[in-house]
Amino acid sequence: MGIVIAVISGKGGVGKTTATANIGLGIGLNDKKCVVVDFDIGQRNLDMILGLENRVVYDLVQVMEGEATLKQALIKSKMSENLYFLAASQTKDKSVLNSKKVEKLVAELKEKFDFIILDSPAGIESGFEHTIEFADAAIIVVNPEVSSIRDADRAIGILDSKSNKVKRGEDVAKYLIINRIVANMVESGEMLKSEDILEILDIKLLGKVPEDKGVIDASNQGKPIILDKKSIAGQAYTRISGRLCGQQIDLKDVEVADSTLFKKIVGIFK
Amino acid sequence: MFGLDFFKKKRSASVAKDRLTIAIMSDRKSSTNYPFMNEMKAEIIAVVQKYVGVKDIEINKDFDGDFEALSIDVTLEKNSR
Repeated sequence: MGIVIAVISGKGGVGKTTATANIGLGIGLNDKKCVVVDFDIGQRNLDMILGLENRVVYDLVQVMEGEATLKQALIKSKMSENLYFLAASQTKDKSVLNSKKVEKLVAELKEKFDFIILDSPAGIESGFEHTIEFADAAIIVVNPEVSSIRDADRAIGILDSKSNKVKRGEDVAKYLIINRIVANMVESGEMLKSEDILEILDIKLLGKVPEDKGVIDASNQGKPIILDKKSIAGQAYTRISGRLCGQQIDLKDVEVADSTLFKKIVGIFK
Repeated sequence: MFGLDFFKKKRSASVAKDRLTIAIMSDRKSSTNYPFMNEMKAEIIAVVQKYVGVKDIEINKDFDGDFEALSIDVTLEKNSR
C-alpha cells in the first residue's frame, strides 16, 4: 500500500507545482514507484513542468467518470522509469470532483504505487479540500514571506479539520518546505529565518530550497531542476526526496551565504 | 551618513515575525467553527436523543492560552424524562 502525500500551500505561485514535479522525480530516481497527480482541475501545469504536455491523452476526470481506464491515462516519464503522471482536466472545472470518486481513484493508485503525490490547487476551496481529504501526509510549501506564511497557516487549519485521517482521530503528518530562500537576505536580517517560520507555523521541516534562477530555465525546457546536479535548488530537492524515502540526510543550511568574496567585502568595512 | 541610516533601520525580518505572529494568532481564534461542526452536532443530538429529548444544542470552540476546547451545551425538552 502506497502513501498519499498532498502538496499544498494556500497561496499560489510559491512553487508548489515545481516542488511536486521535483519530489516525484526524486522519489522515482530513488527506485520507488511514484505517481504524481495534478489536482488543479482547469489550470493544469504539472504536465508542462514535467515536459509531458504532448503526451496527455486522458485526464483524471475521464478516469473518474469511467471514460478511460487508469492504465490508459497514466503517462510514464522518460526521466525515470518509476515515475508516472496523471494529468488534470483542462476543460472542466473543480466542481466535477466529488469525494466518492476521489476516494476510489486514490485507492486504486495506492495499490499500484509506493508514493502518490497530489498537487493541490492554490486556495482553500473545494479542489483543495478534495486533495487533502484522503491524504496520509501533507507537504506545505511556503516562501519566506508574510502572505505565503499566513495563507499556509489557513490551509494547515483546514487540513487539520477536514482530512479523513483527522476525522478518524488520527494525525496527518505535516512537513514544511521553505522555497526561494535568499541566503544573503537572511544573513542581513531582511528575510525571515527558517526557525522563525517553523515557530510561527508549529510544524516540522522537510527541507529548505534556495532561490535559483535555474528553476525558470528548467521549467522552460520541461526538465525538473533536480536533474541538474550542479543547481543548488536541484540539490535541495535531491535531499528532500531522499528524506521522504527514509534516508537520513542532514538539513543543509542554505541560509548561510556561500560566497567568501561577500564576506571579504563586508570585512573591508568592519 | 550611510552608516547612520544602516543602523537606524530595524531589521525587517523581525518586524515580519512580530506582525505574522499576531496576525496568525487572530486568524486562528476567529475561526470559531470547525468545518465538521454541523455533522458533529447532528450526531451528538442523535446520541442524546436515544435517552432524553433534546431541545437545542450549542457547540462553541473556546481558547484558553495554548489550549483549544469545545464546550457543548445541550438543552433538554421540558419533562423529557
